[in-house]
Amino acid sequence: MNTHVPDDIAAFLFLEARYADESRYDDWESLWADDAIYWLPTKDDADPSVDVSYIYDNRSRIHSRLAQLKTGRRYSQSPPSKMRRMLSNLEVLSEQGDDINIGANFVLYEHRNGTHVWAGRYLYTVRRTSAGLQLVKKTALLVNNEDAIRTVAFII
Amino acid sequence: MTAQMDRAASVDIASLIQHDRIHGSLYTDPAIFDLEMTALFENAWVFVGHDSEIPEKGDYLTRRIGRQPVIVARGKDEKVRVLLNRCTHRANMLCRADSGNAALFRCPYHGWTYANDGRLQGVPFREGYDQEMAEMRSELGMAQAHQVEIYGGFIFANLYGNAGSFDEYIGRAKGPIDRLLSLSPEGRIELRGGWMKHKTVANWKIVNESQVDGYHPLFTHESVYKAIMPAKVDYASDELLVATRDLGGGHNEVDYSREYQSQDAEFIWFKRTPREKMAKYVAAMEASVGADETHKRFVDGPPHTFIWPNLFLAEMHVIMVEPVAANESIQYTAPIHIAGGEEINARILRNAEGAMGPAGFLIADDGEMGERNQAGLTAKMPEWALLSRGFSSEVQEDKGLTSYDRTSETTQRAMWVHYKELMTGKQASA
Ligand code: FES
Ligand SMILES: [Fe+2]
Repeated sequence: MNTHVPDDIAAFLFLEARYADESRYDDWESLWADDAIYWLPTKDDADPSVDVSYIYDNRSRIHSRLAQLKTGRRYSQSPPSKMRRMLSNLEVLSEQGDDINIGANFVLYEHRNGTHVWAGRYLYTVRRTSAGLQLVKKTALLVNNEDAIRTVAFII
Repeated sequence: MTAQMDRAASVDIASLIQHDRIHGSLYTDPAIFDLEMTALFENAWVFVGHDSEIPEKGDYLTRRIGRQPVIVARGKDEKVRVLLNRCTHRANMLCRADSGNAALFRCPYHGWTYANDGRLQGVPFREGYDQEMAEMRSELGMAQAHQVEIYGGFIFANLYGNAGSFDEYIGRAKGPIDRLLSLSPEGRIELRGGWMKHKTVANWKIVNESQVDGYHPLFTHESVYKAIMPAKVDYASDELLVATRDLGGGHNEVDYSREYQSQDAEFIWFKRTPREKMAKYVAAMEASVGADETHKRFVDGPPHTFIWPNLFLAEMHVIMVEPVAANESIQYTAPIHIAGGEEINARILRNAEGAMGPAGFLIADDGEMGERNQAGLTAKMPEWALLSRGFSSEVQEDKGLTSYDRTSETTQRAMWVHYKELMTGKQASA
């Protein structure tokens, strides 16, 4: 199988990463499809119907999460973390119709009350639509997800 | 004796805890933290896990009591034991996994093996030991907590067996556990979704205090009420019938039941979810306890109760607080699975993620307040933190010392009264 990630999809994922880094909540929200899932599991092989996750947001909960952040009184992100993340090792993992599944490694430097390193693997589902690319699913598998983690009120 | 212990021994804990104020050093001094781990955890009854986490023979999970690593294991005789996680040969840690199933614990260093009830099973090349060793072999099983008791599935242990009876310890906290189980048509709950683990730069007592704080929601959680949904009750109202209560023994609670009863509405505590969305659960409850009792239980809802020193019945979730250092704690949160609860369980799971844990709409901000609390305590003036709200509103009821002012600091004072008793070895004069 050809694992090469088409340029437009790579550019879309880099844009998503930059909106997240810069806490551009409205811009980030605009990337999502209606059947969105934003997932931060507590282990790599989790089943979200049984295992509790740190985050398991559908589209409406993504909206709520961002609405809370936008009040300016989401104290765990007030002020927001300053962040920069690196994506690498991008690969197409599979495709179903218009949906393309992509894997990437990431390192995220988060600065708020000290500088903290978050690292792991992102799994994305990106959809080609007539209106352009949409983010359908984003999963973040932290290397330390089975251990205790710090507050993660920013966009991971 | 280390210099640190010397210093701790010279600290007069009693003078640091006044009836209406707490000295800041109790949250920051590493020597006091050391004393706490000994007096409040290792020589005391503590929560270590739920029996539904280890349902099968051979299931185990690893935890800590104070700073000592333990394995909570169900033996092949079905009995739950709390074993010290240390090889009796030369002290290797036996088990590194969070949980699992094992017929044997095998030490990887020299291959000694232990049965899952802690007995020493095998010693490689045993000819190398003399007769003396052969005779003491039966004493070389893994060390274990002297007392283990289970109530409502909640497993409690007393490491050294010197903390009095379990009944004395658990006291009035049985009521809230019963209240939780009464929401199940089978009278049982399980923890089957695992735990969120939230690391926080705050003293364990700060975490505990915020969990039962009725004063903060309107402020700390303003962003939720503003942007997402109104609070389950009107925290701004003077008419609110929410109680704070000292149950004795360090246990305490925020009790919403009278407010819920005054509205006579079901599931106020569960986003006012209508019965129709949980028809199978409602039917199972009515079949089990009848329609009237079901209505009453759905109105009263679950406990919001702290069980000393490390268990919080957080309504539809269970929280366990693990002290790490004077300025570091881990808050564990598990969604409750109601046995026979059918549709409500999937909702509880998603609710846990929405509200609780390091990304939760509520707890992430409580965590932030805890860290700010710890940071503020590095300023040494004023020396005291105040806990004086609501004295005059307290009344002695059968359930405990109660204030119907939900902002009263009755809950925090309940912890400190007990803390003082345990740390000084003295019973407070009533
Ligand atoms: S330390 Fe465990 S077998 Fe030697
Ligand atoms: Fe809170």
